[in-house]
Amino acid sequence: MSFLNTIYWVVWKDLISEWRTRETISSMLFFALIVILVFSFSFAMDQDAARQLIAGIIWVAFTFTGIIGIGKSFTSELQNDCIEFLQMSPVPKGAIYLGKVTANFLFMFAVEILLFPLFVIFFNLEVVDSVGMLLLVFFLATLGLAAVGTLFSALTVQIRAREVMLPVLLLPLAVPVIIAAVEATRGILNGDPYNFYSQWLHLLLIFDIIFTVVSFWLFEFILDS
Amino acid sequence: MSAIQVTGLSKAYGFYRIFEEVTFAIHPGTCFALFGPNGAGKTTLLRILATLQTPSGGQCTIYGQDGVAEKEAVRSILLFIAHGTHLYEELSATENLQFALALRGQSLEPAQLKRALDQTGIGAYGNLKIRQFSAGMKKRLALAKAILAQPKLLLLDEPYNALDDGGVAITNQLIQDTMKRGGTVVMTTHDRNKAAKIATEGAILQNGHIQLLSPEQLQTHVLS
Repeated sequence: MSFLNTIYWVVWKDLISEWRTRETISSMLFFALIVILVFSFSFAMDQDAARQLIAGIIWVAFTFTGIIGIGKSFTSELQNDCIEFLQMSPVPKGAIYLGKVTANFLFMFAVEILLFPLFVIFFNLEVVDSVGMLLLVFFLATLGLAAVGTLFSALTVQIRAREVMLPVLLLPLAVPVIIAAVEATRGILNGDPYNFYSQWLHLLLIFDIIFTVVSFWLFEFILDS
Repeated sequence: MSAIQVTGLSKAYGFYRIFEEVTFAIHPGTCFALFGPNGAGKTTLLRILATLQTPSGGQCTIYGQDGVAEKEAVRSILLFIAHGTHLYEELSATENLQFALALRGQSLEPAQLKRALDQTGIGAYGNLKIRQFSAGMKKRLALAKAILAQPKLLLLDEPYNALDDGGVAITNQLIQDTMKRGGTVVMTTHDRNKAAKIATEGAILQNGHIQLLSPEQLQTHVLS
């Protein structure tokens, strides 16, 4: 009970703080809008080329937008040394980690849900029949990015050059998730049959489990170091 | 049994030794004041007791638990009021208390929260966000957290900073209540006069070594 309570309270605290400042969501949205506009104008003359590349463009936007959100996850704990409070709390540190992952996932997923219609409009995508499957890919890939990103956010929060170090450390590890997400999204948008891209969904699921379990176990050492 | 037993404790950052071979014991139901000049290592010593830092050598046992190997057990009995106050700026005073106590496994009624806020003189500001609080009000809220948490070990880093006379009285009341419950208080302070009114034991940390003060010496040190 105490474990679930801790997850609940960490999510509650992060959501309330974000609702009052809208700092993370607004910077994520602003960045993503710029990415969409730049790519949209770049491919304005060649819609065929755009359709070939759209899965990659979507995940470039989602990944870098996510990194902005994840980066802020622990910097907010530096104010008034709140990170020390988390460190000293006599609760399982894994519960704090899962609370942070949940909050990060919700921010990232919310931004993706808001942005995807813009991709549909700007790149003339036909997604009526595949929305459910696309949402599943977004869900699995975002969970993987949030799981590993939250760990690296905690790892880099005390470093002076954390804004640089977070993507440098996170991206190489997140590459399998990003590749799997791009391939699955491409398959769905091309209208391929499920068994053509199902292995990428399985890969996403496996990475989600590995990243969450390993990060859950490592988080206590990172928070205490 | 001592509440805190520190034996041969040392702390160094690289080749720079802050203190070494520090040994002392603190008994339950007492208030231990740690004096010393800036940079002597008072806060570092307090942070080691709070399990936030690891000593370079030696041992510290808190209520029978090893401060390094049994951190989680130690954390469940202590509360540390540090310079940083550990408060979330975007949450209100009441929400901060709710969150802090929830993460200590305590669930409290709104009336209890209100009573603690009233006791610390900030009852009227329960719904105000912390970023609108002054330094003194933040300190009072941290005291409210301690009133509700009722820890066995209360660690206070410069508790009188930023507080007016009313805040000092609330701090001293909290210390007295903790001692009455059989709890232990350890504080670092430069304010010898205020500490003299409440501390029952004391020591001076200087040049890397600790000098324990007898009750008479404690008073003499304060007066000097």
